Amino acid sequence: MIKMSKIEINNLTVNYTEKKKSFTALKNVSFSIEEGEFVSVIGSSGCGKSTLLSILEGINSPTEGEILINGEPVTGTGSDRGVVFQHYSLFPWMTARKNVAFGIKQVNKTASRAERYQLADEFLQKVGLEQFKNKYPSQLSGGMQQRVAIARALAMDTDILLMDEPFGAIDAKNRTILQELLLELWENATPRKTVVFVTHDIDEAIFLSDKIVMMTANPGRVYREIKVPFDRPRNRIELVQTKEYNKFRNELLAMFYSDIVSKIGGEEVVL
Amino acid sequence: MNIQTKTIAAPEIDIEKKSSKIRTEFFRRYFRVVHALFAVLILIQFLPDQLTTETYSSYAIWFAVGVEVFTLVLSALIKKPASLNLFVDIVAFIYGLLIAWTLATAKFNVLKAALFPPPGKVLWQFIGDYDKILTNIQSSIGIILQGYLLAIVVAIPLGLFLGWSARLGSAATYISKFLGAIPPIVYIPYGIALLPTFRSVSVFVIFLATFWPVLAGTMSGVMNVEKKTIDSAKVLNVGRFTMMFSVILPASLQQIFIGCNQGLTVSFVLLTSAEMIGAQSGLGYYIKNYSDFGDYTRTIVGLIVVGIVIVFISFIFNRIQKFLLRWKQ
Repeated sequence: MIKMSKIEINNLTVNYTEKKKSFTALKNVSFSIEEGEFVSVIGSSGCGKSTLLSILEGINSPTEGEILINGEPVTGTGSDRGVVFQHYSLFPWMTARKNVAFGIKQVNKTASRAERYQLADEFLQKVGLEQFKNKYPSQLSGGMQQRVAIARALAMDTDILLMDEPFGAIDAKNRTILQELLLELWENATPRKTVVFVTHDIDEAIFLSDKIVMMTANPGRVYREIKVPFDRPRNRIELVQTKEYNKFRNELLAMFYSDIVSKIGGEEVVL
Repeated sequence: MNIQTKTIAAPEIDIEKKSSKIRTEFFRRYFRVVHALFAVLILIQFLPDQLTTETYSSYAIWFAVGVEVFTLVLSALIKKPASLNLFVDIVAFIYGLLIAWTLATAKFNVLKAALFPPPGKVLWQFIGDYDKILTNIQSSIGIILQGYLLAIVVAIPLGLFLGWSARLGSAATYISKFLGAIPPIVYIPYGIALLPTFRSVSVFVIFLATFWPVLAGTMSGVMNVEKKTIDSAKVLNVGRFTMMFSVILPASLQQIFIGCNQGLTVSFVLLTSAEMIGAQSGLGYYIKNYSDFGDYTRTIVGLIVVGIVIVFISFIFNRIQKFLLRWKQ
C-alpha cells in the first residue's frame, strides 16, 4: 500500500458566478502535502491561492474535485485545522488571553476555565506577549495581534496550520521577527505540524518552507512545485549570503515573472 | 566655578517654578466665575420680596450653600481639568437659572405668581412632599423596568435569531420592518381591551415601545457583522450556541445599544403621557393631579423630578454601555 499524504488536493476546480458572469478561480489544481511539511503557496493576486486556502479551511466548497485530509474528504470546518488570517482573526471584544482561551475551549471541551487560561498564558509567553495578555486587540499593534493569533492557533494544538498571508500587513522589520518566531515554534514542536502558508513574498516562502507551490492566474493553476534545498535550522543572515540561496531565489523570480510576462499582451495582470 | 553655581542655582529655580505652578494651579481650581454667581445668588435673596405669599428664601439659601460646599469639595477632588470644567459649568448654569428665577418671581414679580412660584417655595414643597415623590418615582420606574427589561430579554435573542436567518436571506427582515413601522401607541386600545389594570397596560405599551427598536437594532447589528468575524469563528469550529451568544451578540452590541437607547427614550415619553391621562400613581400623575388643582408649586417640583430621574437613568445606561463596549477604542 502506498503511504498516504497528510493533505491531498485532487483536481480542484472552483467557479464563481457573480452577476451572471462565470469566473474560474481555480482549475484542476492538484498537489499533496506530507505530514509535518511546511508548504508555501505563492502567486500573484488573483491566482486563487486564498480561494484554495478557504477550501482547506472548510469555509468554501469546490465546484469539482476534493481535498482529502488523512484520506477523509473535507466537507466543512474542522478541529484538525488551525487558521491564521491576515486580518480579523481575533475577536475585538476579548482580551488577548480570552481570545486564546476561547480557541482552546473549542477544541478541548473538558478543560476547566483555569486550565484554559493557564494554557493560554503559556502560549502567550511563547510569542512574547505575557505582559499584554489583558489587553484588547485594539490596544495591540498589528504585529502583536498576529502573535496572539499564532498563539491561539498553536494552543489549539491542531495537526494542520493554515495561514493566509499572516504577515502581509506587517512592516518589514516585524515581519522578519515574526517569521523567525513562527519557524522556531514550528521546528521545536514534536511532532511538527503540517503548515500551509499562503504568501506573495518569495523571500518569506524560501526562508520558511520545505516546498513552494507556485500558482498562476486566470484561471488559477499550479505552475510549479519546487523543493527548497536548504537545511534546517536556517539562519537568515547566513543563508542569504550563500551563492546557492541567490541562485535559487533568482530561478524562482524568473519563474514568477516569466509567468507574468507570458500573460502580458492579452489579459490584464494584477501584481 | 561655572558648573558649581549652576548646580546650586538649579534647585532654587526649580522650587520657585514649582511654587508658582502650584499657585496658578490653586487659582485655576478655586477662583472661578461660578463662585461669584453663588455670591450674587445669596445676596439677591436679601432684596425685599414683592410677593404677598411666603417665598421661603431660607430654603434657597441653604440649597445654594449646599451646592457650593459640594462644588468646593469636588474642586479639590477632581483630578482632570476637563471633568472639573464640565461640572463647574453645570453648577454655574444652575446658579444662573436660580438667580433669574428668583429675580423674576419673588423679587420683581414679573411672572404670574400663581403659575411661577419662587425657587425657595419649590424646594420647601419638595422637602415636604419627599415621601410622596419617592413613592411615585418607584411606581414609574417599576413599570418602566418591568416593560423594558422584559422587552430586552425577548427582543435580543429573537433579533439574533431573525438577523442570522435574514443574513441567509429570509422574509424576517421585511416582516419586522413592517411591524416596527407601526407606532406602539396604536396598540393601546388593544392593551386596554385585553388587560385588567392601568399598570399592566403601561407595561405592555412600554414593552412594545422597546421591543421593536431593540429587535430592529439587534437584527441590523447581526446583518452588519463582518464576514471576516464570522469566518474567524467558523474556522474555530464553534457550535451554534457559541456562535450566537459569544460571537454574533458581542459583535452587534453597539447597534443593540442604539435600539435600547431609543426604547428607553420612547418609554419615558409614553409612560409620563399615559400617567397624565389615566393613572393613580407615578410622576406623570403627580404633575397632572396637582396642576388640575392649580398647585403649580408641586407641578414644578414634578417637572424637576422627572428631569432628574431621566438624567440619572441615562447616566446609568451610559455607564453600562461604556463598560460593555470598553473594548472599542
